[in-house]
Amino acid sequence: MRIECVKVPRNFRLLEELEEGQKGVGDGTVSWGLEDDEDMTLTRWRGVILGPPRTSYENRMYNLKVECGPGYPESPPFVRFVTKINLNGVHNSNGVVDMRAVSALAKWQNSYSIRMVLLELRRLMTCKENMKLPQPPEGQIYTN
Amino acid sequence: MADQGAADPGNNNNKPEASEGTIIKVTVKTPKDKEEIAIAEDASVTQFKEEISRRFKAKQDQLVLIFAGKILKDGDSLSQHGIKDGLTVHLVIKTAHKASDGGSTSASSSSSSTQAGSASTSTPGTNPSSTAGSTGSAPPPTQTPNILTGFGDLAGLAGLGMGSANFMELQQQMQRQLMSNPEMLSQIMENPLVQNMMSNPDLMRQMIMANPQMQQLMERNPEISHMLNNPELMRQTMELARNPAMMQEMMRNQDRALSNLESIPGGYNALRRMYTDIQEPMFSAAREQFGSNPFSALGGGSDSGAQPSRTENREPLPNPWGPPNSSNPTESGGTTGSTSTTGGTNPTVSNPLGINPGSLGNGMFNSPGMQSLMQQISENPQLMQNMLSAPYMRNMMQSLAQNPELASQVLMNNPLFAGNPQLQEQFRAQLPIFLQQMQNPEALSVMTNPRAMQALMQIQQGLQTLQTEAPGLMPSLMSGGVPGIPTGGGMPTENPASSPSSAGTSTAQQQLMQQMLQMFAGGGGGGSATSQTPEVRFQSQLDQLNAMGFINREANLQALIATGGDINAAIERLLGSQPS
Repeated sequence: MRIECVKVPRNFRLLEELEEGQKGVGDGTVSWGLEDDEDMTLTRWRGVILGPPRTSYENRMYNLKVECGPGYPESPPFVRFVTKINLNGVHNSNGVVDMRAVSALAKWQNSYSIRMVLLELRRLMTCKENMKLPQPPEGQIYTN
Repeated sequence: MADQGAADPGNNNNKPEASEGTIIKVTVKTPKDKEEIAIAEDASVTQFKEEISRRFKAKQDQLVLIFAGKILKDGDSLSQHGIKDGLTVHLVIKTAHKASDGGSTSASSSSSSTQAGSASTSTPGTNPSSTAGSTGSAPPPTQTPNILTGFGDLAGLAGLGMGSANFMELQQQMQRQLMSNPEMLSQIMENPLVQNMMSNPDLMRQMIMANPQMQQLMERNPEISHMLNNPELMRQTMELARNPAMMQEMMRNQDRALSNLESIPGGYNALRRMYTDIQEPMFSAAREQFGSNPFSALGGGSDSGAQPSRTENREPLPNPWGPPNSSNPTESGGTTGSTSTTGGTNPTVSNPLGINPGSLGNGMFNSPGMQSLMQQISENPQLMQNMLSAPYMRNMMQSLAQNPELASQVLMNNPLFAGNPQLQEQFRAQLPIFLQQMQNPEALSVMTNPRAMQALMQIQQGLQTLQTEAPGLMPSLMSGGVPGIPTGGGMPTENPASSPSSAGTSTAQQQLMQQMLQMFAGGGGGGSATSQTPEVRFQSQLDQLNAMGFINREANLQALIATGGDINAAIERLLGSQPS
């Protein structure tokens, strides 16, 4: 049986991701977890990205909402920023992340994870075209 | 799942905050650090933070805790967030400075960044750069407007978030270092941060205007302020400064324009006139004879009040070509052009005008023509200033410097040179360097300083007298140098030897000349009577004064000069002069 034929069921994947989020796997620059612990469908997630140093995002924490639909992990999750941010690929009005702008989301594979998405967004912040963008004052959030 | 009431095995001491809940071990992770903290299961976030602040030695309000993608608020409890034993919480310790970090820009650390030279900060070696590319945030436009462009003799760095009293001093250090190290300047320019700043024309203008030297320059030459106020030009200039490649492109364009100018009927004359100030002294030096006073043209030239490229009032000049090749002198060109002589010395740093000491002894510069030229110059400083400090003069110089072929080509076409291939050769060789010198701001500032010019003339005369009176005296003068000569000598005419019989004493003369030249070169802008600028000499004293709180650098410097470097006396002067 080849590995790629095995499709891990959605909930298993998400539970795994939940655990990883709680255990703080990674370097601590991103964090994620369920928005609501009672959410049995494991759909709504929260994430935090710490702004990378030497960019205009430095020293800031960005809250995000990640929604893993029923098609996850085959289909990518919906990601949107809660904290206002000026970043290429993020809608200025509502913080929704445009899939096509983030290369990780554009070519989504089922092995990708929420963690990857957050890390990728953080990496985007360090890109030349983004790293110097002026940012709105801290603490502002998108209201819709 | 831990049993209720079962104490942590092996953990007997009561945690102060533990009431009856179990103690859980939570890993707290920062980007750099990881600690395991034992805390009661039902503790609140506040209590947790207390423990953390103890362990991490940070203030509680600096702590931000993140768990599973949520920020833990003080009012919450750990269990609310589902924080259990063995799980990891992320910690961020907020530093006092957020965003636009002032810390990293502490000017003294030369930012390692990258490149050279653009107006930004450059990092070569030791030079303090305040905007070490480490600062990520774009500086708000109102921050310390201390960037100096290559606009005249100014170069510096913008300080981000510096604001300390030492910054001015630092900036001046930077300026000096930058001026002496063009590579660093280019590195600065290339730093993207600085490029960012430079792309904001308003900011640039503010910064330029805020610099007192710039203001002086602007007062002297209103054209510069016009330039500053012309946003298009500013932008273009900044663009140029930022982008060395583009600068070269511009230069090439200018060269092409110049050569085009040459081809149009009236344009050739204009060009010729433009270059006469360069050729003239050369020629007059070569010829050594000036029948009628060819410098009478100087008076006529003075009302042009501007660049030689303006062809306004050159018509009434007496026929300079009466005696063959008697040159049509133009003021500033005359003095500076006379650097290259038949000797053809390669100018070096210490010998900014390329004066060949040997050839200076040949009396070329001592001709009556040159003397009167000198006098004209000292009497008419305004003309010199205008000539030299006008922007497009500068541009012309630059373009000439960039393209010696063009310059020499134009020159060779000039009938003045037509009969003298030898001179052409020399001039061609000298031209690029000469042009560079013209751009040397120190040389320029000296040349525009009438008193300095006069003093130099006096020196020349004095040395001349000495030479005639006591030819053997010259060598002995060497060791003593020539004290008290004002520095900043751009004057090529300080020839010590009037007599052509420099054979015997030529070596001595040359050495003397070298010394003098070095002194001139080593000096800063004119007026100081020492071989180094007072700033350099009193550097450590200035530092101390600054540290003591005397932040007025100018006053400090004056006081130090007056007291000859004695700090205590300088302080008393400063205190005495301040109204209490």
